[in-house]
Amino acid sequence: MTAIDQPTPTPTRTAPPSRVRRTLTLAGAETRLLVRNRTALVNSVLLPLLLVAAVPGLGMDGGDGVGPQLLVAAVGVTLVFLTYYNLVTTFVARREDLVLQRMRTGELTEVEVLLGTAAPTLVVTVGQVVLVAAGTVVIGEWVAPVDVVLPLLALVGGVALMLLLAAASTSFTRTPESAQITTLPVVMATTALSGLLFPLSDLPEQLASVARVLPLTPVVELARLGLAGRAWDGTEVDAGGAWAAAPLPLAVLGAWLLAGAVVAPRVFRWAPRR
Amino acid sequence: MRIVEDPVPAVEVVDLERRYGTFAAVRGISFEVAPGEVFALLGVNGAGKTSALEVLEGLARPAAGTVRVLGRDPVADRAAVRPFLGVLLQASGLPGDLTVAETVRTWAGTLSTPQPVDEALAQVGLTDRADVRVRSLSGGERRRLDLTLALLGRPRVIVLDEPTTGLDPESRRAVWELVRRRVGEGAAVLLTTHHLEEAEELADRIAVMRAGRIVLSGTAGEIAATQPATIRFELAPDGPALPALPGAQLVSTGPRVELHTRALQPVLTRLLTWADAEGVVLTGLQARSATLEQAFLAVADGTDDVPRLVSPAA
Repeated sequence: MTAIDQPTPTPTRTAPPSRVRRTLTLAGAETRLLVRNRTALVNSVLLPLLLVAAVPGLGMDGGDGVGPQLLVAAVGVTLVFLTYYNLVTTFVARREDLVLQRMRTGELTEVEVLLGTAAPTLVVTVGQVVLVAAGTVVIGEWVAPVDVVLPLLALVGGVALMLLLAAASTSFTRTPESAQITTLPVVMATTALSGLLFPLSDLPEQLASVARVLPLTPVVELARLGLAGRAWDGTEVDAGGAWAAAPLPLAVLGAWLLAGAVVAPRVFRWAPRR
Repeated sequence: MRIVEDPVPAVEVVDLERRYGTFAAVRGISFEVAPGEVFALLGVNGAGKTSALEVLEGLARPAAGTVRVLGRDPVADRAAVRPFLGVLLQASGLPGDLTVAETVRTWAGTLSTPQPVDEALAQVGLTDRADVRVRSLSGGERRRLDLTLALLGRPRVIVLDEPTTGLDPESRRAVWELVRRRVGEGAAVLLTTHHLEEAEELADRIAVMRAGRIVLSGTAGEIAATQPATIRFELAPDGPALPALPGAQLVSTGPRVELHTRALQPVLTRLLTWADAEGVVLTGLQARSATLEQAFLAVADGTDDVPRLVSPAA
């Protein structure tokens, strides 16, 4: 009776799509939507690049060199202003339009729905960093990194953390427009105190210690260790020194990821509050 | 994970309860739906229909009781159940900037056994609208697209929450036709509706919910039969008095007479025999069995306890 094993009348496919494939299907549709939305496209492609370009103008001289400084800024700025902000608005928009609730009635798992929805933003994030790296080569400011693994860990861990923070932030964001306000705490505090705009060693010691446990700081620290060979306090380090200085920021990043993974699924809502 | 053939009903709900905080939206309902059967849940807004369906759809966990879809828990065994479950939510969204065809193709790309996109669009008469952005569709077209997606994976169990709300009569009939065809192919359908006509047209069995409970269930005929039939006519004022009519209740007298009875045929026979013998003319004579609507109105909105259960989930 329960004919789940019954042959289907006209099979169009021999095997069901893999999890990756079906998530990519959703990601494809979301990318199409991003391309068709001019405002969102400009916001996610042009704006972060302008912000990155403005960072060297702050006259912050940690001895990093323009190339590494631009690249570190690219990682930090893109993660907050593009990845985090875009994901909050996208998730909230899809939730309020009842799209997420519909996606949940299909075969995609909840994680697949969120990853598929987030995919264009994640791709643009990585693209921006690559673009800035290419840019530093073009303007002749490219400096070979002291270590490649640490900046990559910073980028991957940072993207994952922004995804979790964005998912959690949707719980107190009612509309895509209100995201401009609800994202401020993360955007302002983490950017200001990440070591991106001024060296954390300029701060009183206690405040610096606080700043170093904020979510974006370990990402910037790790990126700077590998790309510029500078520790958070400005000390110059080689590859060995970079790794020797890495355990604390890695632990902080890991702790944030863990906290995000615990909190985000608990507070995320799939449908508008009625 | 496969779900093998076994003699379970397609949908089985036992003592289901749902609460929001202290508010009990669903207070212990039970029913079953067999393959090839349409089961309709009726009730006024807030009766708990959608809250009950959400558990079946795997979108919410029950506060108490169990729900099985094809013998499985729709939340715990989601991955096993989903390929065979088609859901049409009462309200759901689609990105406005994708075309109809893109929308269907995307959904198909996430399903195990999708229908061909062209075939699916043809079924709901949206072939001509394939390249139109979803944003530009009319309400009726949107609903038909919703239905296309719900049926796209060739589901064995179909949950339709108010499938034809906002549709014109012609589209509504087209939807009924589509649902009937899937039922003919063995699908089990669970639907909610505000249109009693829709329930009468489609449903093999009906349950009426009120304040989180099922207060009536059975076939449309059985439910209608919980209410008395009505006989109406006018009498000339100077004529002979009505005879005794056992089994009938006189609701209004005077020139306009209204009788309620649960034994329509014998009462009517006695009335007509009397009229014939006395030479009385029963002007504007009407005799009508109770309708589903009458039965629904009698229980759906009331606050008194009238659980008059007819063949509970037979």
